[in-house]
Amino acid sequence: MKKNSAFGRFFTFLVFLFLYAPIILLIIFSFNQNNSNVVWGGFSLHWYRELFQNRIIMRSLYTTLLVSLLATVISTIAGTFAAIGFYGLRRRARNALTTVNNIPMMNADIVTGVAMCLFFVAFFALWKDFALWFNSVQTLLVLPTRLTLGFPTLLIAHITFDIPYVLLSVSPKLRQLDKNLIDAAQDLGCTWFQAFYKVILPEIKPGIVSGALTAFTMSIDDFIISYFTAGSSSSTLAMTIYGMTKKRVSPEINAISTILFVTVILLLAVINIREARLEKMAQRRQAAPSATVAEMAGQKPHRTPFLAKAAAAVACAAVLVTAVVGAFQNTRQPVVNVCSWGEYIDEELITQFEEETGILVNYQTAESNEALYSLLKSGAGDYDVIVPSDYMISQLIEEDMLEKLDYSSIPNFSLIDDRFKNLPYDPTNEYTVPYTWGTVGIIYNTAMVTEPPASWSVMFDDQYAGNVLMFRNSRDAMATALLYLGYSLNTTDEAELRQAAGLIADAKSRGVYQAFVMDEILQKMEGGNAAIGAYYAGDYLSMAENNPDLAFVVPQEGSNWFVDAMCVLKDAPHYEEAMAWINFIASTEANLRNMDFIWYASPNKEALEQYPAYYEALYEEELDQETYETMAAPAEVLERCESYVSLPTETRRLYNELWIGLGIQ
Amino acid sequence: MSKELIRLSDCVVKFDDEIILDHLNLYINDKEFLTLLGPSGCGKTTTLRIIGGFQKPTSGDVFFDGRRCNDVPPHKRQVNTVFQKYALFTHMNIFENVAFGLRIAKTPEAEIARRVEEALELVNLPGYGKRRVSSLSGGQQQRVAIARAIVNRPQVLLLDEPLGALDLKLRKDMQVELKRIQREVGITFIYVTHDQEEALTMSDTVVVMDKGNIQQIGAPEDIYNEPKNAFVADFIGESNIIDGTMPEDKVVKMYGRKFPCLDGGFAPGEPVDVVIRPEDIDIVSPEEGQITGTVTEVTFKGMHYDIIVDFQGFKWLIQTTDYSPEGARIGVKIDPDGFHVMHKSAYSGKFGDYSSYSDEYDELNVDAEAGLEGDDEEN
Repeated sequence: MKKNSAFGRFFTFLVFLFLYAPIILLIIFSFNQNNSNVVWGGFSLHWYRELFQNRIIMRSLYTTLLVSLLATVISTIAGTFAAIGFYGLRRRARNALTTVNNIPMMNADIVTGVAMCLFFVAFFALWKDFALWFNSVQTLLVLPTRLTLGFPTLLIAHITFDIPYVLLSVSPKLRQLDKNLIDAAQDLGCTWFQAFYKVILPEIKPGIVSGALTAFTMSIDDFIISYFTAGSSSSTLAMTIYGMTKKRVSPEINAISTILFVTVILLLAVINIREARLEKMAQRRQAAPSATVAEMAGQKPHRTPFLAKAAAAVACAAVLVTAVVGAFQNTRQPVVNVCSWGEYIDEELITQFEEETGILVNYQTAESNEALYSLLKSGAGDYDVIVPSDYMISQLIEEDMLEKLDYSSIPNFSLIDDRFKNLPYDPTNEYTVPYTWGTVGIIYNTAMVTEPPASWSVMFDDQYAGNVLMFRNSRDAMATALLYLGYSLNTTDEAELRQAAGLIADAKSRGVYQAFVMDEILQKMEGGNAAIGAYYAGDYLSMAENNPDLAFVVPQEGSNWFVDAMCVLKDAPHYEEAMAWINFIASTEANLRNMDFIWYASPNKEALEQYPAYYEALYEEELDQETYETMAAPAEVLERCESYVSLPTETRRLYNELWIGLGIQ
Repeated sequence: MSKELIRLSDCVVKFDDEIILDHLNLYINDKEFLTLLGPSGCGKTTTLRIIGGFQKPTSGDVFFDGRRCNDVPPHKRQVNTVFQKYALFTHMNIFENVAFGLRIAKTPEAEIARRVEEALELVNLPGYGKRRVSSLSGGQQQRVAIARAIVNRPQVLLLDEPLGALDLKLRKDMQVELKRIQREVGITFIYVTHDQEEALTMSDTVVVMDKGNIQQIGAPEDIYNEPKNAFVADFIGESNIIDGTMPEDKVVKMYGRKFPCLDGGFAPGEPVDVVIRPEDIDIVSPEEGQITGTVTEVTFKGMHYDIIVDFQGFKWLIQTTDYSPEGARIGVKIDPDGFHVMHKSAYSGKFGDYSSYSDEYDELNVDAEAGLEGDDEEN
C-alpha cells in the first residue's frame, strides 16, 4: 500500500514536471541578462523593459485584445440569441443544427483558416467587379474597388469561430430551464422583453459567462485562422511571437509569455476563490433560514446598487468605444505594409518613421524568398514593400509582379554606393533600392572542430557527421555543392546540377547533416548544438555575440554574395507611403542603425564608411577589423564570390524536382 | 352561485389542422373552484392557457368580467398561474421569487415585505424567504409557486396539474391545503388535472373533457352519480357499462331480464347504456341472485377485493369486502338506485367491459405517459 502511494506520488511529480518544466524554464530565462535562451547571463528585468518598448509586440497585443474583446462581445450576443432560436425549434431540426454547429469546432483550424482566406479573396474579387460597375453607373457614391485582408476580416473570422463555443455553453443551460419560465414571468406582469431580461438572461447567465470566457480564450489563443485572415496590415500576438521565433526565441517572448501565464493564473485564482466564497455563502444561507422579514427587506439581497451597475456599464461602453474609435483611426491613418525577414531591422527605426511622417508601418516577416514568393502568388500577401534577395527580384520582375519606383521621391538613392546600382537582377535600376548586402560562409564552433575549415568540403565530409547544419532552401543549399564541385552557382547545366544534388543526397544518406535549417541555426550554433553550419555573415555576427567560440570563413572555392533590396509590389495600395519608407530606410542614419543592429553590411556608401566611427562613439571601444570585414567583405573576398542571377524556368523546375527528390520538407 | 367571471364562447384551437378545442363554450363563476378534468390531450391545458393569455383561440371569444380579452397579453390579465413544474426562478431566493410580481408592479418596499411574508405564511412556509430554491423539497417549491401567484391578489388563480410531480402522500396533503387556501383567499381557482380523485375532492364544479369537447359539467356528486355518457362514467371511478333497453319508465332490461330502477324519460324500448358501479353490487348465493356468474379473478386491494365476474361472456368488476374464491359461482343483487341509465352516445361500447381487466390498467398507464409527452410538445 505504502509503496504504491510512494510510486503514485512520484508519478504525479513526473506528470507535473513534464507539464510545468518548460514554463518554469521560460520564466527563468525571461529574467536572463543576455539574449540567449541557453546561456544564463545573470538576473535582469531588461527584457520586460524591452517588451514594453517593443512597438510591434505592443501593437499586436493591442490588436489581439481588441479583436478578442470585440469578437467575444459580438459572438456572445449572437451565440446567445442563436441558442435561444435553436431552443425554440422542434427537436429534430435542433439536433441537426446542433451537429452543424459542432462541426467547425472539430474541424481542423487550418481548413477553416484556408477556407476563410479563400472566401474573403473570392468575395473581394466579386466586390471589385461590383464596385467598378456601381461606380460606372452613378457618381454620387464612389465605392472602394480594392478590398484587402485586414482587421475587419480578422474580426469576422474570430466571430465566426467563437460563435459555436458560445452556443455550446448556452444551449444546455437553456435546455435545463423550465419550459414555463417565460410564461411564469409574463404571468407575473412582465412583458416578453422584461421576462427575457429579468428571468431568462439571469437563469442562463452562467452559460453565457462561460461561453464568453471560452470565446475570449479561443480568440486570444488562435494562431492558424488569424494567420490566414489577418492579411498584411494587422497581426495578432500569436502571429508576432511566431514571427519572432523564426530566428530565435527572443527573451522578450519569454517575458510576454511569463506575463500571459501569470495573468491567466491570477484570473483562474480569482474565479475559483469567488466560486468557493459563493458556495460558502449559499451554505450559510441554508443553515439559517429563519431570517426576519425586516432583514430581508432591508438587505435587498441579489441587487447590485444602481450606481455601481451604471458605472460598470459606462466603463464597458467607454472601453469599447475607445477601442472601436481607435481601430477606425488606425484605418484612416496612412499606412504602409512591409514584409521583411526576421530580426532584419532596428525596430526603433519604425517608431521614428511613424513619428516623423505619421504613417503607420505594418511590419511582418517571411521565412525565405521562396516562402515569400508563394505567399505573393496565393494572393494573400498584399504588401507594399518587400525586401527579397537579388535572384528573387529578377524573377519577380520577369513575372511583372513589381512596380517601378519613383526615384524622384527617393533622394537618398543617390547615397547608395555605385557598386550596388544597376546590378544584374535590375540592370537599369528601375525597381529596387538595396537594403543590405553580404556573403555566405561557413560558421564553425572552434571548440568542436579540430582545425578551422577552409573548404566547402566540410559540408559533405563524414568528419563532422551529425554536427553539420545545411540550408533549408534549394538555391543556397545547391550553391554550397556547386561551389565545392567547382561549378558556377548560376549554372544551368543539368548534369552539373544533378551531380550537386547527388552530392547532397549522398551526404544526407551518410548522416552528415544534423538538420536542414534556416533561422533556427542561430539557436543551434549559439547553444553549441552543432559544429558546422552554412549561413549569412550578418547572422554569424549576431551568434558570435552570444557564443564567442564561433568563427566564420568564406571558403577558398568562393561563395555567394547577395544583395537584399527593397521593391514595391504591382498595384501597391500605398505607393506614396512606400516611397517615403524606402527613402527613410536608405538614409545614412537608418543604415548605420540597421547595420549596428543586424550586423549586415549597408549599401549606403557613407554609412559603410562611417560605421567603425559610429561603433566607437556608441560603445566606446574600437570596432574589431575582422568583424568589420566579415560584415562588409573586402574586395579580395568579393572577388572569389559570385551573386545569384535569376535562373531560366526549366532550371528552376529542375531545382524544384531535385529539391523534392532530397526529401526535405 | 355568484356572478359569472369568465366566459369562453365558441372557442376553437387548431394546430396544423389538428383540432385541440372544438367549439368550446364554458363560463366560470366568481370564487368558484372549478376543475378541468380529462385524459391527456383532451384540451384542458389549452383551455387554461387561453384563460391565462398564453394561447389565442383560432376562433371564438374570451370574456373576462364581461369584456372581451382575446388580445390582452398575459401580463395585463388579473390572472396568475401555478405551473406544473413550478417554474420558479432559481437565480433568486424564495423572498425574491414571491416578490417578483410585486416588484414588476412597483409596489412600495415595505408593502412587498409585508405581503410576501403573508403569502409565505398562507402556504405554511413562514421565514423561508432567504433560502435558495434548490434547497427546498418539491412540495415546498410548489407552495412557493402558489405563494408567488397568490401574492399578486389575482381574481383568478390558474393551476396546471400543480400536484402532478408530487408523491401520493404529499399530493393528498396538498389537496386539502389547496382547498383551505382557496377558502381563505376567496378567489376563483381553475384547476387542471387528469386525476379524477383530485377533481372530486376539491372542486365545486368539475368539467369533464375529452377530444376538445366538454362531456359533462356539474358538481362532483352529480358527475359521479349521474354520468352523461360511457366516457364520463368510465373516467370518473370504475363502471360496468352494459347494453340494455328501457321497456318502460323505472324498468331496465338487460341479459333478457327486467330490473327495477329509478330512471325514466326514455322512449319505450330505447337502447341504452346501463351503468352499475362496482361498489353498488351485492354478492348473494346463486339462488338468491338476480343474475348469476362465475368469478374469474380476485385481487386483494386492502379495504376490499376487486373481483371479476363473468356474466354470459361480459365481465363485470365488483368491489366487495366478502371473499369469493376464483371459480366460484355467485349471484348478485342490485338495488334500484344502483342502476344509472344513459342514452347511447359515441362512446357506447368502448368502455365498461372488464374482459381484459389487468390489461386495461396497463393501458391506462401507457396512455398517461404518452399523454404527458404529448403535453410537453404542445407547450
